[in-house]
Amino acid sequence: MTTQPTPGVVGRRSLLGSGAVSAAAPLLAVAPAAAQPTPILKETAVLDLVLRVNGQEHRLALDPRVTLLDALREELGLTGAKKGCDQGQCGACTVLLDGRRVLSCLTLAARAAGGAVTTIEGLATEDGGLHPMQQAFLDHDAFQCGYCTPGQIMSAIGCVQEGHAGTPDEIREAMSGNLCRCAAYPNIVAAIEQAKPQMAGRRTERG
Amino acid sequence: MRPFTYDRADAVPAALRAAGSGASSYLAGGTTLLDLMKLDVMRPERVVDITPLASRLGGIEAGPQGLRLGALAHMSAVADDAMVRRDYPVIAESLALAASGQLRNMATLGGNVLQRTRCNYFRDVSYAACNKRRPGSGCSALDGVTRLHAVLGTSEHCIASYPGDFAQALLALDGTVELEGPQGPRRIPFAELHRLPGDTPHLETTLAPGELITGFGVPPLPWARRSVYLKVRDRESYAFAVASAAVALDLDGGRVREARIALGGVATRPWRAREAEAVLAGQVLDEAAAQRAAEAAFRDARTHGDNDFKPELGRRTLVRALFQAQRLGA
Amino acid sequence: MPDTMIGQSPIRIDGRAKVTGAARYPSDVVVPNPAWAFLVTSAIALGRITAIEEAEARAVPGVLEILTHRNMRGTVRDAGFFAAGGYAAETIRPLEDDRIWHDGQIVAMVLADSFEAAREAAFRLRVDYAAVTPAAGFGSASATTEPAAKARQGHEDPQVGDADAAFAAAPVKIEADYATPTQHHNPIELFTTTALWEGGKLVIHEPSQYVTGIRHGVATQLGLDPQQVRVESHYVGGAFGSKGSLTQRTALVAIAARRLGRPVKLVPTRDQGFTIATYRAETRQHVKLAADRDGKLQALVHEGTEVTSRPDPYKVAGTQTTARMYDCPNVRTKVTLLHADRNTPGFMRSPPEVPYMFALESAVDELAVALKLDPIELRRRNDSKKEPIKGLPWSSRGLMRCYEAGAEAFGWSRRNPEPRSMREGDWLIGWGCASTIYPTHIGAATARVTLTPDGQARVQTAAHDIGTGAYTVIAQAAAEMLGLPLEKVQVALGDSDLPPAPVAGGSNTTASVCNVVAEACGQIRARLARAAVEDGPLKGRDPASLKLVSGELRAADGTAEALPEAMSRAANGAIEAYAEYLPQGMPKESMRKLYSGKQALGGGIAEGPLAMAAFGAEFVEVRVHARTAEVRVPRVLGAFAAGRIVNPRTARSQLMGGLIWGIGSALHEETEIDHGRARYVNDNILEYLIPVNADAPKVEVMLLEETDTGVNPLGIKGLGELGNVGTNAAIANAVFHATGRRARELPIRIESLL
Repeated sequence: MTTQPTPGVVGRRSLLGSGAVSAAAPLLAVAPAAAQPTPILKETAVLDLVLRVNGQEHRLALDPRVTLLDALREELGLTGAKKGCDQGQCGACTVLLDGRRVLSCLTLAARAAGGAVTTIEGLATEDGGLHPMQQAFLDHDAFQCGYCTPGQIMSAIGCVQEGHAGTPDEIREAMSGNLCRCAAYPNIVAAIEQAKPQMAGRRTERG
Repeated sequence: MRPFTYDRADAVPAALRAAGSGASSYLAGGTTLLDLMKLDVMRPERVVDITPLASRLGGIEAGPQGLRLGALAHMSAVADDAMVRRDYPVIAESLALAASGQLRNMATLGGNVLQRTRCNYFRDVSYAACNKRRPGSGCSALDGVTRLHAVLGTSEHCIASYPGDFAQALLALDGTVELEGPQGPRRIPFAELHRLPGDTPHLETTLAPGELITGFGVPPLPWARRSVYLKVRDRESYAFAVASAAVALDLDGGRVREARIALGGVATRPWRAREAEAVLAGQVLDEAAAQRAAEAAFRDARTHGDNDFKPELGRRTLVRALFQAQRLGA
Repeated sequence: MPDTMIGQSPIRIDGRAKVTGAARYPSDVVVPNPAWAFLVTSAIALGRITAIEEAEARAVPGVLEILTHRNMRGTVRDAGFFAAGGYAAETIRPLEDDRIWHDGQIVAMVLADSFEAAREAAFRLRVDYAAVTPAAGFGSASATTEPAAKARQGHEDPQVGDADAAFAAAPVKIEADYATPTQHHNPIELFTTTALWEGGKLVIHEPSQYVTGIRHGVATQLGLDPQQVRVESHYVGGAFGSKGSLTQRTALVAIAARRLGRPVKLVPTRDQGFTIATYRAETRQHVKLAADRDGKLQALVHEGTEVTSRPDPYKVAGTQTTARMYDCPNVRTKVTLLHADRNTPGFMRSPPEVPYMFALESAVDELAVALKLDPIELRRRNDSKKEPIKGLPWSSRGLMRCYEAGAEAFGWSRRNPEPRSMREGDWLIGWGCASTIYPTHIGAATARVTLTPDGQARVQTAAHDIGTGAYTVIAQAAAEMLGLPLEKVQVALGDSDLPPAPVAGGSNTTASVCNVVAEACGQIRARLARAAVEDGPLKGRDPASLKLVSGELRAADGTAEALPEAMSRAANGAIEAYAEYLPQGMPKESMRKLYSGKQALGGGIAEGPLAMAAFGAEFVEVRVHARTAEVRVPRVLGAFAAGRIVNPRTARSQLMGGLIWGIGSALHEETEIDHGRARYVNDNILEYLIPVNADAPKVEVMLLEETDTGVNPLGIKGLGELGNVGTNAAIANAVFHATGRRARELPIRIESLL
């Protein structure tokens, strides 16, 4: 088959037990999914892949089921991206993938291989200087418990880079996928308005 | 989540071949698939990542033949496209009002139209009865919480609502779907993509096994500039429609030459309200005409307790959308 | 550096860690070679487990063990109900037997080498049940009721005078029923637990509002010496009451770690969080309110019924507050508990006040309409210097000042009182207001403060920063008392090995902990002063007159000795002080209770000698679409009088967040219950709607000056739970003003107004 290799995915170690793949049909929308028992694999399949995160390449051997979020947190120790729902609902896991904000909990690590991932840990400069968005969040007290904050900041940077930070209303709409249960929302909007002009000419997508 | 093998396809034929070898799912944005795999609702044994196809299937093209949208175009890209916003506002609005910024960045149009219902009895495998999940097992929603369930197109086997927005816009504009499959390419009206639940609610679309959506077409329709997507929801953003309406109007002065209406949040599939369109044809669009159209649209509504309010809300939503479209300059 | 740190608005001292991702929440803890736990929870609400088929789950590669009642029976001892002198949020012992008490009860814990394997196996575990028709709550045939006074020792229903006779005789009256829904806290950090055994010591990392309570509770459950248990929770990703008491999961993870001989990490799912922790109980309330023709209250009757679980008598009991809110000579209240087959409810931000003040403040608005009186004027006519039940004087009561300042800023005088009189295009506009109150709680607390020769201070106390700004305000208190710049103060919190502090609940932390830290700092100052008056520039001065200011020990006339010299005079190295603070009026055993991890707060409005509370007035504008009836809140304003504000920046943030909580509570939040099955249906954070950014465009917080030395030496009142109390009624009142329709059931959704 001609489906491999693609950038980032180095190869697959094997791994299916006998009878692992059934001949039962179908697809996506029509899959009667849960109706059929799925076979138990005797061994866990492992994907060798390279994740480029904050400018560094990491070679990992992962179960294909591992999400980008779990790879960052559990394999690379980058716990800035948070797990708040693991279902793409809260936004706490937001990272930039090739400069665009995405939910790392709904992104397979394998799918992210070959792309450039930026996490909250990749924002500050090497001498410890804060990104303007980080500084703005501090200045405006744009968080309380802080748990959603890395996701908010990554989303805020994405929102500015996407050109969705034109007006406060636009910011509010663009940031509505990042739940903040402490409800720091007005301060988050103020922070984005402060950081936006300081971000001109600066684009975060090194991965 | 069950184990699966992961493949990436860099060409359509490779994708079709990979998907043909077992219980497979295509992976694009992953926002439905990964979610439902984590919930153990979807259990593909092979996941074919088709994101590398985006270079070929991600385009947005407009011309005299109308609009063509690649299946792998991201929701955000189409929502932000200046030409789509100008010429097909109902499409741009349906996408911009859906989900969140991150989800719109991830999700593709092809995946979007195939998103699964939010019926919690479907999404939670601890409920034994769900005809959509386990054919023949029954429907837990019928005597459950039904606030967000459908009132149109239901059957005694399933009342789950179709949760999307973009589909209503496509449907109203007589869109088409382009497909590639083991038997070759084909194109069908978008209206023929989704099925009614009937007694086979587990069969949601007319896609053949292994078939891949490659794009969408919208025929040229100059008066689509007078179109709106109105989404009524419980909070200001990031919520599914309690009721929605996609409306396009061809007006001749105050009179309606042609109206296109599709309804969301209230039906088991993307729902074209042709009866309402017929009521409006040739009429002056005033309160009475709008009300008559709304009545026609919900004449066959069946409610289940918690969603008793939906026909009324659906009618009001449609009336509001009609007047909103009327106020637009075409 | 300002001379006084208290009252300044420094940036949070933990802020940098939070904006860089460096802050390690308990969910972030890295442990070597963890095993992963995944919960299996019950699919029914009532009945028994008849079979557990493990073979398929155990066949999943990487699965290590499956804990069920079959191999756990008798393992976890009873820790007692927290409200009855124990520790547990729910007294059902984890994995004790085959009995199912509620939906989503933990029935198994799968352990595996990876998260993915544990999750797969959990879904492959087959549990069969014999189900019995459960009671979901109100209207369920098998639900039972009992008066709170019977269910809970010490509960009294406040009353005074003869409310029924006064109501019957009064010329103007209203009577109405109100309903509030089940709500879940849904903090963004999940209910995770990581446990590891280091030698004989159990270390638990868990987001917690009460590390001392968890320590003692788990020790009780596992038969350990509390000193063998350490609970760490340095940051907490939201709590709002949900992380205040011991839940079932903690002991299970600890036992799993012991059995496997390796650390175990549990990350429950979002939906499991709806049933393995607590929630805000739904209520049904009946209110009768009567006044004379001038609007002077004559009678208040407030009766509430609240859902709780079968085994545990959790009570909301907001009548303690509503009975005392206004000057009313005749008050009768009653609280009844309704036992259903549900998990046990618990504290959720302003637990008693949110549901009960919604009813009272709606009723007051209804009465104002009946009297054709401005609702603020009605409240003014019933303002009081004493609470009416026991006649306790308010230590301070800024309610009407808040109304005056808030009304002015909001533009209340421009309001046309006629319903449906304000409109913008298709949107009906309504303005509403309501009072807010939160009792000033305080608890016994301890702290250790160490001053090192280089002029650095370290504060250690097992208090918690759940986003409130506790790290910062505690540092401010220490900096002020020691005369140090803020950056010279380090604060360690959230570790049960530190001197105990109360649960981060009842908005007590700032008051309790700042006061004990002040006391410890005072000991250090005294020691320095005692040494300084022996020799040197301050020789012969009265030690009590010396103060620590700007890095020196200073007399009133300006004579001073620099801190390093004063330090070397007093000690060879560091000076360490440990202090205990027992608030005035609290019984001595409060300190012992604190040391055993029990929950024992004092203060408030009911015990005396003073009635202590923070007050506020909240104003909202709503827009209701004339056709489709969505309600939006374009602006909210709250004016608050809450004693001495230690840090206006963090105080504003908390109050702002509270106001937005109020928007959610009034319009969005409801845990929907499948009544026939007694199961939560919208158990995720997309369909359990909380406000998003676009829901709160304009939120204004006004902090009024208030000096109240009656509440505690530093004059601090808690305010974390003040903001979200009045908002429900303010919004409902505004919706009435916009539409002419009175919404007495929360949340107010489209279908309420069609």
